[in-house]
Amino acid sequence: MENKSPSIREFERIVSLEYKDMGSHLPEDRIPVGFFCPYAPEEMLHAAGALPLRLMGPPIKMSRVQAHLPPNCCHLAKSSLESLLQGELDFLKGIIFSHTCDVMQGLSDILAFQKRIPLQFNLMIPSNLRSERSLPYLKEECRRFKDFLETNVGVVTQESLAGSIRLFNQIRERVQRLYQLRRKGPGLISGNDFAQIIRAGYQMDRNRYLVLLDELLNGLPQEHEGTGGFVPVYLIGNMIHSPSYLTMIEEAGASVVYDNLCSGARFLRLMTREDIDPIDGLAERYISSFLCPAKHGGPTAHLETLIQEVEESGAKGVIFLFYKYCEPHYFDYPDLKKALEAKSIPSLLLEVDDPATSLGQLKIRIQAFVEMLSSV
Amino acid sequence: MTEQKLDANLYRPIQSTGAYRRLMIAYYFMVKHPSWFGKKVAWITSGGPVEPLYAMGALPFYPENYGAMCGASRMSPSLCEAAEHKGYSHDLCSYALTDIGSYFTGKGPIGRLPKPDFLVCGNNICGTVIKWYEIQARAYNVPVFFFDTPFIHDEIQGHTLKYVQGQMKDYISFLEKQLKRPFSETRFEKVSNWSLETIALWKEILELSRHRPAPIAAFDAFIHMAPIVTLRGTRWAVRYYKRLKKELEERVRTKTGAFGREEIRLIWDNIPIWYDIRNLSKLLSSNGAVLVADTYTSAWAMEEPNLTYSLDGMAQAYATIHLNRSLDYKVKKMVNLIQRYEADGFIMHSNRSCKPYSLGQYDMRREVTRLTGKPGLVIEADHTDSRSYAPQQVEKQILMFLDIVRGTKSS
Repeated sequence: MENKSPSIREFERIVSLEYKDMGSHLPEDRIPVGFFCPYAPEEMLHAAGALPLRLMGPPIKMSRVQAHLPPNCCHLAKSSLESLLQGELDFLKGIIFSHTCDVMQGLSDILAFQKRIPLQFNLMIPSNLRSERSLPYLKEECRRFKDFLETNVGVVTQESLAGSIRLFNQIRERVQRLYQLRRKGPGLISGNDFAQIIRAGYQMDRNRYLVLLDELLNGLPQEHEGTGGFVPVYLIGNMIHSPSYLTMIEEAGASVVYDNLCSGARFLRLMTREDIDPIDGLAERYISSFLCPAKHGGPTAHLETLIQEVEESGAKGVIFLFYKYCEPHYFDYPDLKKALEAKSIPSLLLEVDDPATSLGQLKIRIQAFVEMLSSV
Repeated sequence: MTEQKLDANLYRPIQSTGAYRRLMIAYYFMVKHPSWFGKKVAWITSGGPVEPLYAMGALPFYPENYGAMCGASRMSPSLCEAAEHKGYSHDLCSYALTDIGSYFTGKGPIGRLPKPDFLVCGNNICGTVIKWYEIQARAYNVPVFFFDTPFIHDEIQGHTLKYVQGQMKDYISFLEKQLKRPFSETRFEKVSNWSLETIALWKEILELSRHRPAPIAAFDAFIHMAPIVTLRGTRWAVRYYKRLKKELEERVRTKTGAFGREEIRLIWDNIPIWYDIRNLSKLLSSNGAVLVADTYTSAWAMEEPNLTYSLDGMAQAYATIHLNRSLDYKVKKMVNLIQRYEADGFIMHSNRSCKPYSLGQYDMRREVTRLTGKPGLVIEADHTDSRSYAPQQVEKQILMFLDIVRGTKSS
């Protein structure tokens, strides 16, 4: 702990804050607005003067949510609603839903029904990314979102939006470098630290985040070769909601060389063009490069993306890390597994519910999987 | 009229059921042997725009309707297990699992499923169908047309309407390419008229249960809804519903109810529990309770008053169906049903396999009760997979609920 860089220590401090403590640690000049997934354009929120805070479903004792949600909803939905009902999200001035799956769609309505958060907006991302009509429609939705923010949060000028896009692109570029360093030198940044770095980026002032990323990168050796004996694996799933998973993978002797996590490398696909109209740029990236399993990019799009990324990463195996009850991921899973098998790439499915529970069993399964990969 | 004694309450079977059976057998016979009739088969979601398909001479097959058949015939659990054996999670929608299981095993009430020539997927009912149809597009190696209808949390936006209307044009182009024939406006108009007539008849049939006693119970409507789902846009559906309506009007005229006793009138919310319809019907009727209306069958009695059935009008109608609307809309609809049908309470099926229908029901129950003063009950089950159903527990809940309803009525 004492050897950790000041940047990492600050990331840890940010991540350790519970919702109820967050309000008093936020920059006073920004309006805190919650969001759930990368389909909410953080840049637009930032340009309007908001601080986008990603709700990532921390562990919480469930006592009220059962009166509002059926049991077969994912932990993110249950945890977020429970936090709202317990008053822990009262510091938020608004919340943004961007359309993905049936649970988040229902959660949006249920949340609005509680009338606890002053502002709520539903950004209706098209589900079909293949139609040439999707992009013009999404641009209109983004403009509607801009109008909403201007009415309720603050003016979004061309300049402020372009500035926010630049800032977030810079952040993505730094995170991309971290990914490259981790791929070249597993162990250079521990899985636990990496999870904290990623998570902090959704919960803090983004200008400060960029400064800390730069400080961190400057303090790391830029040339670091060798696997360090770690078995390279690829991780696919919802989000790094708890550092424990990456730690368990590392303790078992493997290292995640790349991922397709909702809060991980999928974020890097949101790099936005700066040479076109900012709203066009924001909309375009969602159609051209970002693909959530809840969206349709063609019947084989998800398979092709996975195989390509796994092969490029040099991973020897794939770990599926899914929230229990996540329909879009689970529908894809059997065919993804089959496609990997056809390429002789072993895989392991891990189902997680509340990240605070069932870690022991997962650990044993990860160890067995990594041992198997070691002998391949 | 034939009457059946159902635990101290008289059930009067619908005489048109024979015609209904013949119609559905004929439909499934055609779907099963499309080449005998020179037809191509399109698998389509239950909320998908079917009229252009009929207008273009293709034959629609509805995996969800088939899933209901599998559920009612209690074949779903084994088909779901077959899908689970191939790696699909038990927590996925049981309609989808049933269909996938049927694909793998070749089993089901009609045996092997008819191979689709192409797929038509509309997500106005749920997001599940996106993944489900991607799977089947890969399995059968056929093209899929995706009709994307953004969910309406408040009002439909102008650009959203433009988006869905544009897709309707793309849909026609897709059909022309798949079926290798031009789209005929004249034929489309004819099919649309049959569709509108069917919808109007269905609406009138459901409205008849506003009478006391109700001539048709929701459990019967669940069965007799199959033609409006599968044959909407054909003259056979029009003919059948005219016949059914005539029979039910006669019941109204003679004050003959679906059941001998109708002491409690209830509304049902969500897809039925297909494998337990008979037991639940028996349980309710033996306690003098009748389901007089429901949110499921009424979803096909489209409410848009400006339904013109031009392609644009049709796009709007499909984009604004019940399941594509917000919780506020659903609350209003339930309140409206309770008032119009003079119901004494409502039962909500929290359906493990249908999240768009089930999420929000707990809040909805409280809100509807607040607005109407009528009690509501939420029961947990799954529309086709009986493995997720505890019948004795549900029976106890219903009996207790009926006591509450009686108490409310007498107070």
